[in-house]
Amino acid sequence: MFENKTTTSCENNLLTVESLSVTIRNSRKKLIHNLNFSIPQGEIFGLVGESGSGKSLTATVILGMLSKSLEVTSGSVTLGQSEITSLSERELRNIRGRDIAYLSQNYQSFFTPFIKVGQQFIEIIRCHTDMSRKEAKKVAIHWLNKVHLPAERVFNSFPDELSGGQLQRASIASAIMFRPKLIIADEPTTALDVLTGERILDLLSELKEELNCSILLISHDLKHIIKRTQTVGVMYGGQIVEIGKTSAVVANPIHPYTNLLLQSRLRLNKHIQHELPTMLGEPGLIAEEGCPFTKRCPSAMESCSNKVPMNSLGKHHSAACHLVNAEREERYVTR
Amino acid sequence: MLHVNSISKTYHSKPALSDISLYVHAGESIGIIGESGSGKSTLGKIILGLEKPDQGDVHFRGSNLHTLKGQALKAFRRHLQIVFQDPAGSLNPKLPVWKSVVEPLENYPDVIPSFLKEVRHDRKKMAEVLFQKVGLSPELLERYPHQLSGGQKQRIAVARGISLEPDLLVCDEPTSSLDVSVQAQVLNLLKKLQRDLNLSFLFISHDIAAVQFMCERIVVLKDGILVDAFLTNELFSASRHPYTKMLVEMSMEQDR
Repeated sequence: MFENKTTTSCENNLLTVESLSVTIRNSRKKLIHNLNFSIPQGEIFGLVGESGSGKSLTATVILGMLSKSLEVTSGSVTLGQSEITSLSERELRNIRGRDIAYLSQNYQSFFTPFIKVGQQFIEIIRCHTDMSRKEAKKVAIHWLNKVHLPAERVFNSFPDELSGGQLQRASIASAIMFRPKLIIADEPTTALDVLTGERILDLLSELKEELNCSILLISHDLKHIIKRTQTVGVMYGGQIVEIGKTSAVVANPIHPYTNLLLQSRLRLNKHIQHELPTMLGEPGLIAEEGCPFTKRCPSAMESCSNKVPMNSLGKHHSAACHLVNAEREERYVTR
Repeated sequence: MLHVNSISKTYHSKPALSDISLYVHAGESIGIIGESGSGKSTLGKIILGLEKPDQGDVHFRGSNLHTLKGQALKAFRRHLQIVFQDPAGSLNPKLPVWKSVVEPLENYPDVIPSFLKEVRHDRKKMAEVLFQKVGLSPELLERYPHQLSGGQKQRIAVARGISLEPDLLVCDEPTSSLDVSVQAQVLNLLKKLQRDLNLSFLFISHDIAAVQFMCERIVVLKDGILVDAFLTNELFSASRHPYTKMLVEMSMEQDR
């Protein structure tokens, strides 16, 4: 019919982040550098990296909630047909909570402590719709059931009467009530123990199927990402240093950072180790020029301080590292 | 060295711990695994004497911890130290970190740890030695907690924990708030210190892989009940409690 403005957002990508850069207004310091990734409809995309790698900041940009002291200097974020970076606050308010839902690690502070959970649900619902209180309660109970909670009891409880897992479930329920297109789950299980965390991730996968939405799963722990995502981006110092199909990245980690992240996972062992493999240095150690990981990299060479472009290995996998070469390509394992 | 005899504890008529018994020998490291709400942290608090059990008692080097008072209790506390999960919360934000590290030594002016013999008169020098013990650069001495990374703060908390050369160090989820890469560094450090100083460890965690690495014996808690206790090398044995088996399976599955 008409030539569409967003010709670049191809096929069925729900979210497209294109050459996104974010800097601090005053110091011109770059926090996110030329970020590129996209999430297809109905997929779970994982973003993994240590503290300070810029993964949560990326989520903030997608939500259009960037702090005033920061600035998007280039690039765009497109959700469906709308370009988020150019929307007004009023338009953004319609998208946030409706089209994009956000789940944080800090489920403890999700609900106001001295108002019953049910009342807070009703408030959220009436904020986005013109339902009566009675109708809103029905909706709330429906979604509390959906996340496998004893709905009536939770509805009439104060937040401190619920366990961590229950609170996280309740916050999920409130996030998905408007059938969002995208759920951003920022370390949703980090504050929970292993079993509860797994159940929360099971729930998210199940809801994804039902709502046919996409999920951006952010974590510092590859353990949570590997099993759940189709595609993964590995972030360091505000850049994606490796990206690809999760199975391909796990089988053939190219960037030394990805490799070290994989190795330093704590794992049960048949033989008890005397020392765990570790990564050199602290997460905040970022090189200003070239590859951000240079200062901690065991295979750093002179050329690493120059700009390292993304090199692709096969169709579904690329990395910003000089180690991508022909010899590597031969050894590439396809699963 | 430490004997916990059939302890029970109830909060608001809900049982948090029922009839728990365990022991720790000198130089041994024991892991306590459980989900949130299993009572593992309550047990840690009782062992430190921060909470009183409703029933049962804790004997540490032959004395009942919960009947001690005043000076006698203070003398015992010196031998029991703790590293918490949240390093930010356990350091005073208004003190440069080296002062936090030597604070316990100021509270116990008569204690002379073996590794601080030569410098016991000089607070700053003691801090330097302790910094070196936990692998921190002396440049960080004058920093405040907010100027340090999570891993560095946790090392400071460990330095503080070992400063009095305690017999038993209780670690309550010492790595779960840290980045994966830093977790391994801190665990390596703890293991090395345990060997070097011949400390006993009570390592409380929900991460079975961390406990396997750190501990010689493992105790599994579920809903306040001790369901399984075994030597670490029997972790994969067929005679494990079904709940332990499930925890193992869960952890293996995550790695594929």
